[in-house]
Amino acid sequence: MKILHLYHDLMNLYGDYANILALCKIFDTNGVEYTLEKKTLGDELSLNDYDFIYIGSGSEENQKVALSHLAEHKEDLKNYIESGKTALFTGNSFEMLGEKIESFLGDFEGLGIFSFTTKEQNKTRNTADAIFETEDQILVGFVNKCSKISGVETPLFSVKMGLSNDDTDKKEGIVYKNFYGTHLTGPILVKNPRFLQFVAETITGNSLNNDAFAYEKEGYRITLKKLEERNGAK
Amino acid sequence: MRKFIAIILCKILRIIGKAVGKGSSLPGKFALKVCPDVLSRVKLPEKIIAVTGSNGKTSTTEMIAHILKENGLNVVYNAEGSNQIEGVATFILSNATLGGKVKGDVLLIESDERYAKYTFKHFSPTYYVITNLYRDQLTRNGHPMWVYNAVKESVKEETTLILNADDPLVSMLGKDRENTLYFGADRLSCDTNEFVGAYNDRVYCPVCNGPMEYSTYHFNHIGHFDCAVCGHSRKDTDFTLTDADLENGFIVLDGKYKIDLALKSLYNIYNLLAAYSVASVLNISGENIAKAISNYTLKNGRVLTFTLGQRKGTFLVAKHENSISYDLSLKVAASSPDDCDVMIIVDAVSRKYFTSDVSWLYDINFDILNCDRVRNIILAGTYANDLAVRFGYTNIGDYKIKVTESIAEAVSLLDNQSKAGIYVITCFSDKAKFLERVKVD
Repeated sequence: MKILHLYHDLMNLYGDYANILALCKIFDTNGVEYTLEKKTLGDELSLNDYDFIYIGSGSEENQKVALSHLAEHKEDLKNYIESGKTALFTGNSFEMLGEKIESFLGDFEGLGIFSFTTKEQNKTRNTADAIFETEDQILVGFVNKCSKISGVETPLFSVKMGLSNDDTDKKEGIVYKNFYGTHLTGPILVKNPRFLQFVAETITGNSLNNDAFAYEKEGYRITLKKLEERNGAK
Repeated sequence: MRKFIAIILCKILRIIGKAVGKGSSLPGKFALKVCPDVLSRVKLPEKIIAVTGSNGKTSTTEMIAHILKENGLNVVYNAEGSNQIEGVATFILSNATLGGKVKGDVLLIESDERYAKYTFKHFSPTYYVITNLYRDQLTRNGHPMWVYNAVKESVKEETTLILNADDPLVSMLGKDRENTLYFGADRLSCDTNEFVGAYNDRVYCPVCNGPMEYSTYHFNHIGHFDCAVCGHSRKDTDFTLTDADLENGFIVLDGKYKIDLALKSLYNIYNLLAAYSVASVLNISGENIAKAISNYTLKNGRVLTFTLGQRKGTFLVAKHENSISYDLSLKVAASSPDDCDVMIIVDAVSRKYFTSDVSWLYDINFDILNCDRVRNIILAGTYANDLAVRFGYTNIGDYKIKVTESIAEAVSLLDNQSKAGIYVITCFSDKAKFLERVKVD
């Protein structure tokens, strides 16, 4: 497996790099062979060489820098996603894939791979702990953003607690084939060992175990309990 | 009339508040409701000093107050650290006469970095110290650039800025600006040539996003930086730390003034330097500043020593959600001259608001503890499992690590005959949970 951690030094605000550590750990403990490459501005990029691409969250300023760089590889990324390969974009990184980002920094054309649009403001920081659900999983995490995303046709999560794409429909993120985008920030694969297993299995196409993740599972259980208590109290 | 009512109301509420032990922001809040522009209507002392930044606000403010008082100045300041506009209003109005005059030579204000723009809408500081802009409480602060933009809005043209020259983001506030003074450290013996830390927020220049180069790092991204693309580089300093000898516990300012350190750590040196800078611009001599601040122990309880059974320990307050404060505390433990055990407690992430987020653990460079002198590491509190996961990604041997959610059990693990020292690192939010189980010296 070839893993790409893209913009590792530019889009890495909330401990996002730990997602790669978690992925390496589940591969290591399951005997999956892999290589890891970190690429950033100024590096040659050949996206279709990889089996997994990860990008984390960045400041609004850094996201625009990443966007202008990634725009040169728009077609490659589109083909990568269409071919069914796996990618995870967390925090504001998945906003780059929409039609446009209207921002306090100016208006920016997105990669146009998806039809949603993003509006960004610099007055209020919207932050909240999160419980997000899929059909068969419950994720815990945190969202830290200043944007609203409208027009996502295929959201990834139902919002049980926390912030949604546009604050109205209780839906969050985007899923298309094996592309997963969510505004959950930080080490979501560390915090959610089952989701880690799911992503790792999607990348490899094999069933894997997460037996070596005892502390992770206990940490997850406690955080979910804390969040549910908090959610119930509100 | 409104001003008068606001002042009276604030004073009465403050007296009641003190009697029942309530916080110090409520009186100001009501006073601002009665008279929203009361802060621009009171007569303030001639010199107004403001201090903001991610780390070290309270310590810097306390030391400025101490130096100025020792040198005969009458200083009015918010010792209680209520630093948003309501808290600032409380302490200013509580110290005002009914006619609206704040007596004193100097008004000294610790200000929250995100809310300073609201406070300073009403009056302008004469001198405005900005200590640093780090990742701090990102679950509500967003990120350092977001905070930078908020601080920038609080800067008035007529104010003289006193900036940390070694922090590329803080230093950017002085770009194309007069009325700006800088403090910073020369290359120190404890510097490194390479970046050390779990993350580097200054790989790129904050002005132009070009690659940032450093000729020396003091710690994390604090050091002598230079962007070859746009020329944003470390400024020459007006107030300089010329030497730091942590082993023998002293620093030298401007090549002349030796100050003995109560704590042999980089922890507080920048705060000392900032306080020295402010006192200097107020024309207090270097000799007198050094005399006032040498061996000064901060009163805000960030470092304590304690006894547990037969063992002696040091308690260091770091801040949860603030990796640089953790890194500096971890360095204190790792530089222990003798063997030691280290306990880290994460039980409540904040005492002020709820969050269950532990992403910030990945910003902390726990590998600092990877040294022979550190024998056992005890991870405790509600988020002990998350700490254990984080330590799993360090180079520290598993055999050193013990994990328990119970703080009582964690303490009992240390209550033994060992001759090793103890360092306990945690935040205000979890401080009492530990200290109530030991004898504080």
